[in-house]
Amino acid sequence: MKPLNQKAERVQRAAATDKMDEVRAMQTITAGCSATFDPGWEVDPFGGVAALCQPMEADLYGCSDPCWWPAQVPDTMVSHPKWTSGADNAGKDWRSLGSVFPSDSET
Amino acid sequence: MLKQSLIAIVCTVVFAGPSLARDLLVTAARPGNLYVFEAQNRKLIKDCDLGSSPVPGVIAMSPGGKVAYVLVNLWQDVVGIDIETCEKVFFAKQSEGDVTRRSIASLAVSKDGKELYTVRNPVRKHSDRLEVMPAEFAVYDTNAGLQAEPRLVHEAPRRSTVMATDRKGAVYVAGHDIYSIDPATGQTDIAIANASWNRPTYSPPDVLAFWPIGSQNDEFMLLYTAAIFADETKSELADFVWGYQSVDLTTGESVIEDFTSMEVLMFSAVRSPVDQSKLYGVYTQLSKHDVETKELIKRIDLPHTYYVINISSDGKEIYVGGTSDDIGVYDAESLERIGEMRIPSGGDMSVSTIQIVQAK
Repeated sequence: MKPLNQKAERVQRAAATDKMDEVRAMQTITAGCSATFDPGWEVDPFGGVAALCQPMEADLYGCSDPCWWPAQVPDTMVSHPKWTSGADNAGKDWRSLGSVFPSDSET
Repeated sequence: MLKQSLIAIVCTVVFAGPSLARDLLVTAARPGNLYVFEAQNRKLIKDCDLGSSPVPGVIAMSPGGKVAYVLVNLWQDVVGIDIETCEKVFFAKQSEGDVTRRSIASLAVSKDGKELYTVRNPVRKHSDRLEVMPAEFAVYDTNAGLQAEPRLVHEAPRRSTVMATDRKGAVYVAGHDIYSIDPATGQTDIAIANASWNRPTYSPPDVLAFWPIGSQNDEFMLLYTAAIFADETKSELADFVWGYQSVDLTTGESVIEDFTSMEVLMFSAVRSPVDQSKLYGVYTQLSKHDVETKELIKRIDLPHTYYVINISSDGKEIYVGGTSDDIGVYDAESLERIGEMRIPSGGDMSVSTIQIVQAK
């Protein structure tokens, strides 16, 4: 396995230096732009899709507001706070939600 | 004249009878509103401008139900709103300078209404990096006005989310374990072991803790899921279960117990204030469990997913909300849908809390 980000590299280093006791999956209580191992956006905990939020628009702001899955949904908590401006109802206004990109200062 | 007045007074007392308490439902929604409904007649009675982004909309009520404290501005600020007048009576800006402080749903009010608590997660923004600083348990006086600063700050457990207070003065904080914190000293103990629980045949629990509900049954209650294995080698999966963990906010006594196999998801749950054995959980289904007999009493499909649940003071009505712009009302006995309340702005509640308080 090859680490894809800095946190994954640190986990690999911890394993190599016998410090895995310090590594804890964010399983009990996850929120706030933390990497989470919870499935749920693409696949539900049962391995299917029936237990995903229905419709997906009901879950859209629930994932962006608390920065739950910052890789899957734009993070309105920190990086893209205006992503949903003028689109107060995800079910009706989803067409006005655009893609997001890092700004020049972040690249 | 005097006689007429006395008759009028007597008639008023006799015919008006004792003033009956009514349930008020308090929630927040886009674009920046705090809404107060009369729950039983589904009537909106207040629409307060929060003056800030209301999401993720975590709400804690003052003990008398008069003031709603809301985490606003992307979890950085706390605003207190008088729900009778919409007047802003408290405001605390937690970030300052190059230090951002967010409270990840960590907000509670003492049972005497005099103190407000948050767990704040400070991050200093340097020109080349972000410095994660120790988490803080902050104690505010609720009469500190609109430029409130914490009176006390203690070091707090990291990864803290929802909180609740009991009548003995303790503050319970959900994190890797359920902690009990003395707000005067910062003394922190484990009230219920979660990540550190001693269940050799169990996986660690998975806990979703966004909604500070449970006051209707005077408890701090969270659900968990966990895998159970056939033995301590954990090589063979035996079951995947739901359990509940609760702290009684009068006695401080705690309980943690499995109650059913994991067949559906539940994002939040409440127990009935008139029968603690009845637990209602919500997600895309509404489920009613008996946690004493471990029996699933009934489960129904909902029109769409709802995140948060609460219950009327008489235990007869269930309210489900969050996610979209409607609050569904269900009969607690039959789980039949008996009404709904629409968010007037049409804005989504997202992960906002639903609180129920009593008003005369």
